[in-house]
Amino acid sequence: MVKTFEGYRRANGRVGVRNHVAVVPTSVAASSVARGVADEAGAWAKATPHQMGTTQPDATREQTARVLAGIGRNPNVGAALVVELGTEDIDAESLADRIAETGKAVETLSIRETGGTRAALARGREIVAGLNDEAREARREGADASELIFAAECGGSDATSGIAANPAVGNACDRLVADGGTASFSETPEFIGAEHILAERCADDDVRERLLERVADREGMADMMGVDLRGAQPTPGNQEGGLTTIEEKSLGAIAKGGTTPIEGFAEFAEELPVGGGLVPMDTPGYDVESVVGKVAAGAQVVAFTTGRGSTTGNPIAPVIKVTGNPKTWDRMANNMDVNASTVIDGESIESVGERVYETLLAVAGGERTEAERRGLEEFAVNEVQPQELRGASAGAGAGR
Amino acid sequence: MKGVVLDDVALLMAESDTVATAIDDLDDGRRIAGEGRDLSLSEDVPFGHKIALVAHDPGDEVRKYGEVIGRATDPIAPGEWVHTHNCESTRGRGDLAAAGEEVAE
Amino acid sequence: MSADSPSEAAAGDFEGYRRSDGRVGVRNDVLVLPSVICSHLVAEEIAERAGAVATPHDHGCAQLGADNDQTERTLVSLGENPNVAGTVVVGLGCEEVQSDAVAAALDERGFPVREVAIQDAGGTDACIDAGVAAVDDLRAETDAASVGGASLGDLTVGVVVDDLAESTVERANPLVAGLADRVLDAGGRVLVAGNERYAAHPMETRARVKRSAESAVDAFLERHRDLPARATRVSADAREAGFDAATGFAGDHPLADVVAYGERAEADGLSLVDAPSRFEEAATGLAAAGANLVVHVTADGVPAGHPIVPVLKVSGDADTLAALPDDIDVDAREADAADLVDAVRDVADGRKTRAEAHGLTEFALTRVGPSM
Repeated sequence: MVKTFEGYRRANGRVGVRNHVAVVPTSVAASSVARGVADEAGAWAKATPHQMGTTQPDATREQTARVLAGIGRNPNVGAALVVELGTEDIDAESLADRIAETGKAVETLSIRETGGTRAALARGREIVAGLNDEAREARREGADASELIFAAECGGSDATSGIAANPAVGNACDRLVADGGTASFSETPEFIGAEHILAERCADDDVRERLLERVADREGMADMMGVDLRGAQPTPGNQEGGLTTIEEKSLGAIAKGGTTPIEGFAEFAEELPVGGGLVPMDTPGYDVESVVGKVAAGAQVVAFTTGRGSTTGNPIAPVIKVTGNPKTWDRMANNMDVNASTVIDGESIESVGERVYETLLAVAGGERTEAERRGLEEFAVNEVQPQELRGASAGAGAGR
Repeated sequence: MKGVVLDDVALLMAESDTVATAIDDLDDGRRIAGEGRDLSLSEDVPFGHKIALVAHDPGDEVRKYGEVIGRATDPIAPGEWVHTHNCESTRGRGDLAAAGEEVAE
Repeated sequence: MSADSPSEAAAGDFEGYRRSDGRVGVRNDVLVLPSVICSHLVAEEIAERAGAVATPHDHGCAQLGADNDQTERTLVSLGENPNVAGTVVVGLGCEEVQSDAVAAALDERGFPVREVAIQDAGGTDACIDAGVAAVDDLRAETDAASVGGASLGDLTVGVVVDDLAESTVERANPLVAGLADRVLDAGGRVLVAGNERYAAHPMETRARVKRSAESAVDAFLERHRDLPARATRVSADAREAGFDAATGFAGDHPLADVVAYGERAEADGLSLVDAPSRFEEAATGLAAAGANLVVHVTADGVPAGHPIVPVLKVSGDADTLAALPDDIDVDAREADAADLVDAVRDVADGRKTRAEAHGLTEFALTRVGPSM
């Protein structure tokens, strides 16, 4: 029998597991006002401050706009306020239009038109209060697990990640896919050395070619910077935790996507389908940016495995922390949600996977994660760097 | 857990692997016997780190999960700790490309 | 010009905080410095509870080579800024830019520092408590009283100009140039951001350089050759408007050095900091280079301040001055260079800038490579 949960059904049919009012700045110049508005309003208001400039090269700007629009479109957002200084290349009205396509209430706020920082803070608070009145009308109702998009992430990995936590989350992905839902994992640099295994699981040649191409692109970044990838991957914490090479990290990392066929391969922050099976995404391994990419693509819940004990969350999607390291579970229980270290004492992957899946459904139904309880809501936009665009043909797509 | 636990303290993920993973902090001299293997650690190996099961010459493949995870940079005897000091990646080596060398696959 | 009463400091002096290395700070804050995005909310919480300032940022892990080095050296240099009384570095534990390494670098150079990490402390709650205790501890150790008698020649003034609008080029830049010349004539330092402005005019840039800075300038120009600018609009406008319009804020002195982003400025005189004309990133580069305060020319009225350096907002744009009356410190249509010098001295003496008064700060770092 397919599992169910209670969620917020939006006008476009997608189901939210939270009912936030998002406060989205279009640039760094509006970020502090967005943060100020949300901080004063209350826990229901979630700001997504970021550091993107008011002008950016075309490919960079397109990705920034896609991420910001996707954040507003995520079904966990009941209503959204877009904040601008008023001189950005990404203008608030067109961003608001992209969000409003989903049928939710969206407002804009221009710091310049409102009369400055203080006036914008005051006006912003009025607007989000009004948006919250509208959003609060929504009620949780029955939804199928098939309506969930579940994102798997890893960060602060150690040797237990590949042995315990990632296979357990992968098992939960398998369960969701069997129930008709969508699962996504990403972090393309952590496919390096394991891409041949993923390639065999691709549903068709087109998906396979794209996946292999993106892995080669990411590996090429080490060439571009003229350095050994080991300067960044595996990280010092990974190495202290027993991971020696990127291949070893990758072979453990891909386990978090489970074992089902790879039905598609999404670009960074490209909208993920409902009922799509397993659809990985091209993102950096940098966990905060990678989580944001999948949440901007519509994921409602994230499972984040961590051997060393990463404590980060996300403002829009609840993040379930899963650790396979018994010491981390003991020392950092306040920041961890699921103990997968029992695998090392003999609990089966299937059994821990079932616990992760049950946690996913409970969190989807409203149970708060440890990161949510502590207000840990890290947010960052992945920036396509000028160095990546050097020599690239003008305005080339996503620039990678 | 996938794989086979050797003597309660080390995890062998696949039969063809040349290393096993310590699932406890292990001391120098610890004997690991069973499943047709018998070796003694020649140094401390911390939780999560790898133990050589077979002898590796420099350049030999190091295997875990039934896959290649890197190559030995030094001779490694059975029972030695395998990590960044004696095993290196063959991938993402922009440093070698920058030095004008061929990156080995 | 501000209607505030003139500074009480007589004869052009102001009260500052003399640091052990001889430099003068104009603020006396404990800095809570996250080494990585994963600890930035914890750092902010520590700062809020302990009455310190924080520099939350989005970086510090999965960065390669030169990109990683730049982030790390920027963080270390921020802890060296003379406005900072001491630094509490906050890490997660498994990141690329390790908090203990940042703390060790500061300690080695004699700057007061403490370090806490989430994984060492046993989670975020315990780390926040440890961080608050570390701030208190540091404050007790570094309790510096302000001392009088500092002068313009003790200051390092940072300059960033957002744009090449007519009001900026015609009205604001000449004021800033006047300020720069007076600070330099008094023996102080001036740091200017805006790498794309100079990179757009290699010949003219080379002609305005001290002999000792020639190789640094050549390396800078080579680094930016064919590299798309981060501040795209400024780059295009700078190319079109010519060197004088693009760099008119820098005054008459030749460039004495080019400072890599995140490095401390070492040369006396006028230095170019290799930072784009993006206020938030530039302010961080200027603060890392040692600026006490930043003069920010903005036709658009970019309003936020910076956690470490007071920011004086200067605009000559009539629409912006009308639209943002509480955000701009200096109306460039009415002020002259002497007024701007007075404003700088007042801020150095402790008067709050508009951005400090409304309390919103923004902190960003420049990247030179992609996230891995």
